[in-house]
Amino acid sequence: MTLLVWTLLAPLLTAALGGIRASRKVEEVVIISGLSVTFGLCLATAWQFLNGPMPTAFNEALRVDGLSALVLVLCGFIGLLSAAYGVGYTRRNDARGLVTPRMRQEFSVLTPVYVFAMLLVSVSNNLGILWIAVELTTLASVFLVAYHNRDTSLEAAWKFLMLGSLGLGFALLGTVLLFASAQGALGEDLTALHWTQFMAHASELHPFTLRLGVVFALIGYGTKAGLAPMHTWKPDAYREAPSPAGVMMAVGMLNAALYCLLRVHLISKAALGRDFSGGLLLTLGLLSVLVAMPFILIQWNLKRLLAYSSIEHVGIMAVGIGLGGEAAVFGALLHMTYHTFAKPVAFFSSGTLAQLHRSSNFAVIGRGTLSRAPITSALLLLGALFVTGSPPFSLFFSEMMILRAGFLGSHVIATSVFLAALVILFCGFAYQIGGLVLGEQVSDPVADPETLDWGLGVTLVAALIAIVSTFYLPGPLMGLIRAAAAVVSEGA
Amino acid sequence: MTPNVVILCAAGMLVTAYLMVGQKSLFTTIRLYGVQSLLLATVAVVMAISDKRPHLFVMATMTTVLKGFAIPLFLMRVVDRIGIHREIEPFLNVPASLLACLGLTVVGYRVSTGFAEGTVGVTHHVLGVGLSTLMIGLFLMVTRKKAISQVLALLTVENAIFLIALGITSGMPLVVELGIFFDVILAVLVLGILVRRIVDRFESMDVSRLSNLKG
Repeated sequence: MTLLVWTLLAPLLTAALGGIRASRKVEEVVIISGLSVTFGLCLATAWQFLNGPMPTAFNEALRVDGLSALVLVLCGFIGLLSAAYGVGYTRRNDARGLVTPRMRQEFSVLTPVYVFAMLLVSVSNNLGILWIAVELTTLASVFLVAYHNRDTSLEAAWKFLMLGSLGLGFALLGTVLLFASAQGALGEDLTALHWTQFMAHASELHPFTLRLGVVFALIGYGTKAGLAPMHTWKPDAYREAPSPAGVMMAVGMLNAALYCLLRVHLISKAALGRDFSGGLLLTLGLLSVLVAMPFILIQWNLKRLLAYSSIEHVGIMAVGIGLGGEAAVFGALLHMTYHTFAKPVAFFSSGTLAQLHRSSNFAVIGRGTLSRAPITSALLLLGALFVTGSPPFSLFFSEMMILRAGFLGSHVIATSVFLAALVILFCGFAYQIGGLVLGEQVSDPVADPETLDWGLGVTLVAALIAIVSTFYLPGPLMGLIRAAAAVVSEGA
Repeated sequence: MTPNVVILCAAGMLVTAYLMVGQKSLFTTIRLYGVQSLLLATVAVVMAISDKRPHLFVMATMTTVLKGFAIPLFLMRVVDRIGIHREIEPFLNVPASLLACLGLTVVGYRVSTGFAEGTVGVTHHVLGVGLSTLMIGLFLMVTRKKAISQVLALLTVENAIFLIALGITSGMPLVVELGIFFDVILAVLVLGILVRRIVDRFESMDVSRLSNLKG
């Protein structure tokens, strides 16, 4: 058994152990230690990639190149972090008698399964397995969205599942068409769907079938990534999912779906040139950023606000990839990394705030939270600065990198629109969060007092990681980003 | 002889899709889906024999057992247990729906001519039917209110994709196909559980009532 296989088995074992009915303490220890081991193994796999032969398994069906290694590490990280916050989140709900043993069990099984599926996405070199893994992420997360079992959570879960399944149907059709475009040149066994095979035979693919396949696959995986106009499930799902699961969707799933988009884009780039799928990604990305704009300005719910911010960010990354060229691609991947570190701060602090006020609606929370929950509010403000890309924080640099590449390249008008949208989004977000945190308190909302519990501790750690990552990315991680950028810009 | 059987079965799938559009009873729609899956299995068997591709037998067996019988029976049990109001209420009336589907069929056939394999013979028809059924499935999805009929629409789309895969590639690699089957089963189970939860909460499976989340 290779290291890579163990990396995938670790979360599955955690899920199996989590399924055993046990006391709260035991379940907490199982999920945290299991996902810590998983993250450790992800790091080890990435380390193996950096220092030696490329880790592969099952006849190259699983293969870790630069892009895979980066997404693997980021997904492992986010799995551990959200499970850690999840423990605190569940404890708080438990103290209020909102958690049944079944819900706890659901959480401790589905979270590791979700992590497993995301890790499988990030290392699969086979388009068929990739599709199966993405479908698995959807199925694992449906019940996390429906977790609270309210009317609205069922509605959100239903929309999420219908739209997700439809998207995946498109992705499956795309995969079939990609396979068909090879017209038998790749053989008929499992290796025929290997991404590396497609890249090797790029010039032999039938153009019409390939084009159709690429469109379907990009739309399909774009639905999972939350690119407009297939983004409509996101605000509902994010609002209803418990915050730890929300982070996994907003960061982990986003990265994994982007990975799928990149793989398809690279095949298309090798066979049809950069402009076809690049142009499509640029359009969808730009549309996402534009769609997020009005909804952020008129938003009435904190968690939905974050969902639109997530739509904005996936748009930014898609624009970066769509613009093409080394600098823009590097910027997009850097953005993905920074976003992974920054987003949890905003999510965790808003989750805490929503728990203290028993609602995530602005009207219920009321303005001026700084006086009621100073630490959480400060963290939320910090998170908002991060996700809006304000200087001197990390996302500012990656956004600048993409913008610079855009203005130097051939897409000046698109980049101008993009820049204008980013500025308006920044203002909208700052207005909403600023009003919420710093505004003058008018009503006297009911809120629990803030206590320095486990959940807040995890949020503080997340904030620390986000701040440190702004100024210092460890050498090996930088190496991974470079290796990933090399994969994307060279298609190797 | 073989090409005729393939074309006949594929055309039968299209007919079942049309009948689903015109059908008001939920039970009949579920049965139609079962028939459609059996026709798909027949296409796979004929292709397995004529092209000598034994792994298509596995696919045909799975399709027959799971999509032909297991999934329809499961869905009927879900409907039975819910036991309320079995009529389908579409957003669009039947004649208009059928006309729209006619248009979609023309589009499907037109698109199928772009493929390298799609201009002549059997593949032309299989692809044309596959693409048309796919679009009719999508149409059903947006015009139906009941949760179960949306699930059926989704499954029709799935069947159409399998038909396209058969027509254009003679089937995907076996491992992948098994994985896809596994996922479809899981998805139906998850959908079934979700439908029951929705019915428990709302005392109806009319998904047009799921409209609280906006903005």
